[in-house]
Amino acid sequence: MRSALRRIASLAIKEFIHLRRDWWLPAFMLLGGAIELVLVGWATSRPMTNLPLMVLDGDRSAASRAFVVDLGNTGTFRAPEWVDDQAEIEAALLRGEINAAVILPRGFAEQVRSASGRPVVAVLLNGAESLPATAARRAIEGVARSWGDRIAVERVGLDSQQLESFFPSLRVWFNESLSEALYTTPAELGLMLEFTVLIFAALSISRERELGTLEQLLVMPFSSLEIIIGKAIPAMLIGFTDFLLMLGMVNMVFGVPLRGSLALLLILALGYVLVELSKGLAISVFARSQHQAFLLVMMVGMADFMFTGYAVPVETMPLILQKAANLVPAHHWLAILRGILLKASGIDVLWPHAAALVGLGLVIGGASLRYVRRALN
Amino acid sequence: MSWRHLLAVARKETYHILRDRSTFILVLLTPTLLLLLMAYALTVDIEHVPFAVLDHDRSSISRSFVQGIAAGKDLDLYGYVDSLEEIEALLVRGEIKAALVMAPDFSRRLLSLEGMPLQIIIDGTEPESGAFAVDHVGWRAEQFLRDQLSAQLQAMGIPLDTLQPVDLRVRAWFNPGLEPRVDLIPGLISMVLGFPALSVALALAHEREHGTLEQLMATPIGRAELLLGKMAPYILVGMANVIFMPVLARAWFDVPFHGNFALFFLLSIFFLFAVLSMGVIIGVFMRTQAAALALSLLLIFFPGFFLTGIFFPIAAMPEVMRLETLGLPGTHYAIITRGMFLTGVGLEILWPYAVMLIILGMAFTGVAALFFRKRLA
Repeated sequence: MRSALRRIASLAIKEFIHLRRDWWLPAFMLLGGAIELVLVGWATSRPMTNLPLMVLDGDRSAASRAFVVDLGNTGTFRAPEWVDDQAEIEAALLRGEINAAVILPRGFAEQVRSASGRPVVAVLLNGAESLPATAARRAIEGVARSWGDRIAVERVGLDSQQLESFFPSLRVWFNESLSEALYTTPAELGLMLEFTVLIFAALSISRERELGTLEQLLVMPFSSLEIIIGKAIPAMLIGFTDFLLMLGMVNMVFGVPLRGSLALLLILALGYVLVELSKGLAISVFARSQHQAFLLVMMVGMADFMFTGYAVPVETMPLILQKAANLVPAHHWLAILRGILLKASGIDVLWPHAAALVGLGLVIGGASLRYVRRALN
Repeated sequence: MSWRHLLAVARKETYHILRDRSTFILVLLTPTLLLLLMAYALTVDIEHVPFAVLDHDRSSISRSFVQGIAAGKDLDLYGYVDSLEEIEALLVRGEIKAALVMAPDFSRRLLSLEGMPLQIIIDGTEPESGAFAVDHVGWRAEQFLRDQLSAQLQAMGIPLDTLQPVDLRVRAWFNPGLEPRVDLIPGLISMVLGFPALSVALALAHEREHGTLEQLMATPIGRAELLLGKMAPYILVGMANVIFMPVLARAWFDVPFHGNFALFFLLSIFFLFAVLSMGVIIGVFMRTQAAALALSLLLIFFPGFFLTGIFFPIAAMPEVMRLETLGLPGTHYAIITRGMFLTGVGLEILWPYAVMLIILGMAFTGVAALFFRKRLA
């Protein structure tokens, strides 16, 4: 047993010597991932603001100007570009220069004033960018609604103090200010962690095989299990350190809170890294070259990404995909990460995900261990 | 520069790729397969969002209101609860994504036209499903109000439109339903088509890792010839994907293609040239495939995913990032793909982006060739 430990240690040291010689790789893996997360998070973790908007004000009244001011106050748009001709709007839409255009036809103010008038607000959205177009639509709808409420109050002659909106009020839990960073950056962190670990592990054996040094390793007095553990230790250290760095970044730079237990998070993170690691090692043995290993990692990683809820929450997917998601470690990991960071969830709530992670870890880890050992023997 | 030399290198590289059949198939199919995966991952329609109801009013009106909300497949009634604590527990466990809270005087105030005391609680850690729920509850509530109050309003001599006097006419061009599928898939094409660039970086680093680069340099082949010859087969691989992907997008995902395919093909070659030269720079700098891979992930893959304006509009990014995105070929190509697929515009609008791609391609190749000499010397 002691000699086995010594052999594993010497293998791990060999891996670290490789890393030191080729120091670019660990440097990129550790710092690159964290820096990239800051860049990406910085660029994408903001509400959709500053969207280009065009306004065609056919009315040129105080009322129409006030409507446009209200649009500006939503914060969604940058200062609007005023145009005189609908053709300009159409040209800008074709060029993709604007996300939305608002047309207030002549008679807007009159319709607002008259007892049964219906002021028209025409909106053109650039559907070629559907996500900002949807944000623009929501902002414009909000302004139109509050105008509608106000006009209705005046017309019906109700006491405006007493009157509430006819639109439901909104309360957001766990992320009160609806900060985008709080939900995008944990997912981005999850994605980068998975790719870091998978790639690091996937290259480890495929590289030795490609360079012909695997045979040398196999004729030495190491058992296949010792080789696997020796390979896994540096990958695990890199992956886990990367996670700690990125967690710190997310917390300090983007203000993502840690509301739950740090110890629980670290334990589960270690488990998750181990699961991904065993997947990476299996790919590493399956692939015949580093190039192949890399392409396989991309496929596996992107398939997993589908179930992390970055774009679409798993619970709202078609039933068959929801079932499939249960078999994906990254799905459980993201639920755990979000739960502990944002919802202060403890193990009492997260145990199904933790159990699934352990179960998947045993199955995937066991299978890939057997597979890798057989391939090495 | 001699064409004979260039062709010789290209032929050698092609042999390399073809010799290893499984890697060749992976390299060829990766972009299209990734497009398929990601298109599924990112464009699944949100539906069946589970919500709970806390009804303090318990009237027939409030019950029929909830029935109206739960009709259809977008929102699913999870059940009635008795307290806010229950809602919180359900949200924490992720069993519901939204909750409706109706005040005790819900029906009284509704019928006396004093507003609608209704609150929506959403899970801020998953704002996509939350915003979806808010939109849908809002629309259904408006419909419900019309149905409930029309008789009453008529009796009072108030026209029905009074409740929502603003006549908002929203029209989305190019993608009338604002379906993310329609514009994200062309955007994603610009991302997955960057994959051959990662392969070319690996191929160059491979020669260096195996020490065959020195042999090549001992031949009378020039630097530019060597680099362009290395790129050529991957440009062909990319071109094959430029044909596969619009077919897939159209046949499988029902995304229209309104532009001129020949022009799209030509501009895609410009993009491949630019993005592959990025890969070449990485291949020139890195000594091992693993390092080349790590750097290409950080410089090509993650930025291509997050920073090219596919998901998050460039207009809403911070100023510095906007400048940085100009240096990414994917930014310009994403505009081209959306233009070609959705708006059907031609060179009259897309020429600046085509010019940028050519400039970036030449600049990157120039930098690569320059450093290639220095690193070999």
